[in-house]
This record gives sequence, C-alpha cells and structure tokens, in this order.
Amino acid sequence: MSELVLKTERLDKVYELGRRKIRALSDVNLQVKKGDFISIMGPSGSGKTTLLNMLGCLDKPTLGKVILEGVDITEVPEKKLYKIRRDKVGFIFQTFNLMPYLSAIENVELPMESTKKSKDERRKRTRELLKMVGLSGREKHRPSRLSAGEQQRVAIARALANNPAIVLADEPTGNLDQKTKYEIIRLLGKLNIDQGTTVMMVTHDSHIAAHSERMLFLSDGKLLAKEKKGTLVTEKMLRCPHCGQKLPEDAEYCLHCGRKL
Amino acid sequence: MLLVVIALGFSMAIMICIPAGIVANQEATQNLSENYESMISDMQEEINETATLIECRTSSRQGRFAGMPSGMPEGLPSFGFGQEVFVNETVVDEIRSIEGVKDVVPFLEVSSEETTSETMDTPRGSFTISRPLYTISGVCLISSFIDSYSILPTNITAGAPLHEGDSGVLLISSNLSDYFGVEVGDKVESYGEYFTVVGIYEPAGQGTSGTRQVYMSISDTQIITGNTGNSSRLDVYAEDVSDVDGIAEVIEAAYPSELHVTTYEDRLANLENMQEMYQTTLENSESTLSQTQTTAFQEIVIAIGATSLIALFTMLYTVRERTKEIGVLKAIGFSNWSVMSQFMVEGMLMSLMAAVVGVVIGIVGAPILSSLLLPHVSLFPTQGERQFGQWGEATNPGIFQSESTAIALDPQTLLLAFGAAVLLGAFGSLYPAWKASRTSPMEALRHE
Repeated sequence: MSELVLKTERLDKVYELGRRKIRALSDVNLQVKKGDFISIMGPSGSGKTTLLNMLGCLDKPTLGKVILEGVDITEVPEKKLYKIRRDKVGFIFQTFNLMPYLSAIENVELPMESTKKSKDERRKRTRELLKMVGLSGREKHRPSRLSAGEQQRVAIARALANNPAIVLADEPTGNLDQKTKYEIIRLLGKLNIDQGTTVMMVTHDSHIAAHSERMLFLSDGKLLAKEKKGTLVTEKMLRCPHCGQKLPEDAEYCLHCGRKL
Repeated sequence: MLLVVIALGFSMAIMICIPAGIVANQEATQNLSENYESMISDMQEEINETATLIECRTSSRQGRFAGMPSGMPEGLPSFGFGQEVFVNETVVDEIRSIEGVKDVVPFLEVSSEETTSETMDTPRGSFTISRPLYTISGVCLISSFIDSYSILPTNITAGAPLHEGDSGVLLISSNLSDYFGVEVGDKVESYGEYFTVVGIYEPAGQGTSGTRQVYMSISDTQIITGNTGNSSRLDVYAEDVSDVDGIAEVIEAAYPSELHVTTYEDRLANLENMQEMYQTTLENSESTLSQTQTTAFQEIVIAIGATSLIALFTMLYTVRERTKEIGVLKAIGFSNWSVMSQFMVEGMLMSLMAAVVGVVIGIVGAPILSSLLLPHVSLFPTQGERQFGQWGEATNPGIFQSESTAIALDPQTLLLAFGAAVLLGAFGSLYPAWKASRTSPMEALRHE
C-alpha cells in the first residue's frame, strides 16, 4: 500500500536543566504513511512540540532515529540539515511567523529562494499556491494588512512551497477564532485530499483534532497505545480502488496513481 | 534606525573630512613654500639687476623690499602713514651733479583722495584699516629712463604702456580698473582732473588684493596735487657698482633728514631678514602640518573604531530583536550561510545609507568639522617681534590667501568613503551575523 514517509524508532529526548534531567520524550515509535493526516494530542508539557521539533530537524533526539523518506536525519550533519528542512519539511506555526516586511507572495517565495528554481518558476508556483489556499488577489498585501486566517493561509502556502514530504503544523489554529479555526482545518483537510499532502498536526483542541484521520496521544513524553480515528472534514471523499489514496468526491482519475476510477 | 544612520553618518563625515582637511593643509603649506621660493628668487634677481640703484625716499619708510614687499618691483608708497614730504628739483639737480651718478629718476607717489576701509582677520583679532583707495605714481616719462630702468609695470594686459611725453593719460592696475569698471579709452577722475586709461596692467602678486595703483606722467601728478617740481622718491643710478657706497654716503651727508637712502646692500640685508622670517613661517606651518597628521591619524582611528562599534552594536541589537525571524528562516530551510549573508548585507546597506548621510554632512560641514578637529596651518609668524604694524597694508596676497578652508570633496574621496562604509559595515556586522547564523532554530522560535 502506501509508502512510509516518516518513521521514528525509540525516540528519546532528555533535557538537562542544571542538575535536573527532564525526559521530554521517551521511546516514541511512530509511523507516518504518505497522505496521512495525523494529529497529536496531549496536555501542555506532554512533549508535543518537542516531538515536532525532532521530526522537523530543529532539534536532535538524545537517543533513537528519525527516518524521513528513508534517511536517518539524526545522522545528517548540522551543516546539511537546512536542505532537509527546506525540501522535505514544511512548517506551520501557531503565530504564523510571516516576515512582516514582505508581501504575501514574497513570504511564500522565501523557501524557494535558495533552490534551483528559476524566478519565473517560483512566481508561477507561488501564484498556484496562493490560489490553492484561496488568497488570489491578495498577493501584494503585507501580513499586517491580512486577517489572522489569511496570514495562516499564507503560512500554509509557504509550508507547501517546496513540495515537502511532510507538513508539520504546531497548533495551527491556536491563534484563531472559532470560525477561522474550522476554515483552516478544512483547508488542511482539503489539501490533504486534493494534493495528497502528508500532514502532522499538534493540537490540544480535541474538536480540531477530530477533523484529522488519526489521533495520537502523548502523555509525559510517551505515545499512548490508544489511537482514535477522526473524520476528515471533507466527509464526501473517495478512495482510489487501485492505490487506496484519498480523493475528492468529483475525481475521475486518481491523483496519485493516475488510473481511472 | 534613523538615529543610528545619522550617528554613523557623523562618524563617517569625520572620516571623510579629516583626509580632506589634511590635503587642504598640505596644499596650504605647499603654496606657502612655493610662493616663498619664487618670491625670494624674484627678489634676488631684482637686487642683482639693480645693483647700481640707490633709492632715496622722503618718507621714513624704508623703500622697496622693506618689510614685506607688495607690488613688485615697485616699492611701497608711503600713504596712510604720517605726513607726505617731498623734495624739490634743486635736490634732483644737486644729486645729479655728484660724481659717479649716471641718472636720477624722480617719482612722485601720492595717495588717492578716495579712501576705502578693509577688515583684516589675523590671529590677533580683526582690524579695520582705512586706507587710500589707490596710489598715484608719477613717473618721469623720458624714453631713456623707460627703456633702461624698470620704472613702469611691464605686464600690460590691455591697451598700451606709457610713452615719453604722454599727458592726461594713465596706466591702471587691473584690480583698480575692475573696481571702477573702466576699460581702455574710458576716463578716470583723480584730484578733479580726468585722465584717459591707455593701458591696464596686472599687478605683481596673485589674487585680487594687490596694490591698486595708477601710473601717469610725473608732471601730471605734480599739477593735480599742487606739487610743482616736487618728488617723493629719487632712484639714483650709479655709473658703476663700486661708486654706489660713495654716492650713498654723499647723499646721506647732504640730506640727513630729507632723504632715506637704501642701496643694494641694505636691500640684501632686508632680503635676508625676510628669508629668515619666511623660514620661520614655513617651519611653523610644517610643524603644524605634522601635528595635523598625527591628530588626524588618531581621529581617523577613533572614527573607524566608532563606526564599526556602532555597526556592531546596532547589528547585535537587530539580531537580538529578530531572533524569532532567524528561527523561522532556519526552520523553512535557510542555511547558516544565507542567514549570515542576509545580516551582512543589511549591515552594509545600513553603512551605505550612513555614508550618504555622512557625505551630505561632510559636504555641508567639512570646513567646520575639519577646523574643529584639526589644527590649522598657521600663516602668520608667531614671534612677538613681528608686529602687525610692521607689515602695514602689505599683506602679500600670494602668501596670505590661504586655501585651508576650501576643502574639496573630490569624487575619489567620496568613492573611498563609500568603500570604507561598506567595509566597516561588513566588519561591524561580521560577529552579529555570525551569531545569527549560529542561532539554534528551536530556541530562536521560542523567543518572543
């Protein structure tokens, strides 16, 4: 069936605070398949963000492996990690973290800056992405002139810029009002179905988490055995009979294997 | 940010102005020494050529080469200082009859009726001097005199020189013709009479403040000033250099109070005096110059230090302020190198902006800044015995027209300034940018 995008093996992270040792993660084993939409739930301090940082090459585990598309990123030297962050991972933050002095279009282009893509290609891709997140016509606006929801849309487009293997979202709806929250989670769901984007989201909001496919629970750095199934927001969806991938309900051909449904 | 740019601009302006100030001071010193040398050699030549000349003046002023010469080769008229005294024709005849005398050339030098006030700035304060607008030199217009002796100015720039028998005409110095706004053929009024300008000459000495003077026939001068038969100066020429001392003694004995006699020996002594004085001035200015360079060096070091320190602290502050942004950039895949270069470029851009401000401040404030920061080349001798009065109005324009305030910011200096700005900006940003590139993205993202 679907290939494995991300896998962790016996992941441990110990922080040292003076003489005290804090075990943020212990023995986390996780598997993410291509096209998954997973949410990780847990109370504050349960190690959600720590886990996400390990997966996104922002931090190194004390023990264990993180295998991203077949590469153990814990073995990659620091100097080369930027390439993995740029090409394989897309980050979405709670506070959007857009560059305030850049327009929407420039913010989305940012991760492509050091890639081999030509300027035209980058522009084209950026417009495509902004259209995908429903921001056509607002390309030239700076973050200060966009609403919170719109800013998060720009951030989502930026995360997708280099077609990453996985999108890591850290409380993406944490700074949004009720209505916007659902718009954003629906957008993530739609991207997951339409584009096959693999999404891993950290949240402590069970209503939001319920919109993903799989819900995992972290508690005191341990991944609990229980796992819940959620309903993807776009309930009306198809699955490809050939490869099993999720598809929008009006699809005639599989977006993943290309075969006729 | 704006304040930083302005502060940086100031320190850059200092960096720009100081070299310009040094160059200006160097030029002033060089001018001084060049003028000095050419003047001394001119005078040496003049003294050699006029070895047979015995100068007899009616006033107490020492005659040509006394103190500071002005309109070379003619000596200074005695205007403005005491009563004008004259000798009459019998004296001329008597001197002519002394043995060994070849010629006696009488002059009548009087001041114009019009006066002018001038303010002079000196290190001892500023003086306002009221002096005659110009000098009238009545010259004995006899062909043999005109041909043999340098009694008339030679550098005629317009019109013609004076000839034997000319009357009702005059030769005017260019600075005076400019002052009157007259040209060749125009008329000039002097002592109630009108004279036609036949020629305009360039007075010796550079600048516009050379002696204003007109030359006319001695008889015309005598008539308009009511001094029929009188002279104020007699140039006595001996047949031979060996006769000079004897003739001078005879004249001095015959007219102890009426005439003041100077021979080439006196003039040589004067020249030596002057050489000494110029030497002192030159040494003064050279020592000032070396002092200037030391000061300038120290100031430039301080300015460079200040510039890079300002850049350093500004960029450190910027990096701190934008820690989160650095974290985001790294999280979305910026390499250490791109983060570092981004901050380096920012530092350089900031310095470049500061350089623009600095150049503007520099252009506007260069004279003020450099005079504040650098000692000036002193163009006046500082010894107490050189009294200003002794210099009279003979402030030689060639020497005193100092260019030390005219600081030119040439394109080369500007280019250098921009180059230095970029370099110092880069230098100052090096550590902050490196620090930014080393920031752990995870910790930076946590930063609020």
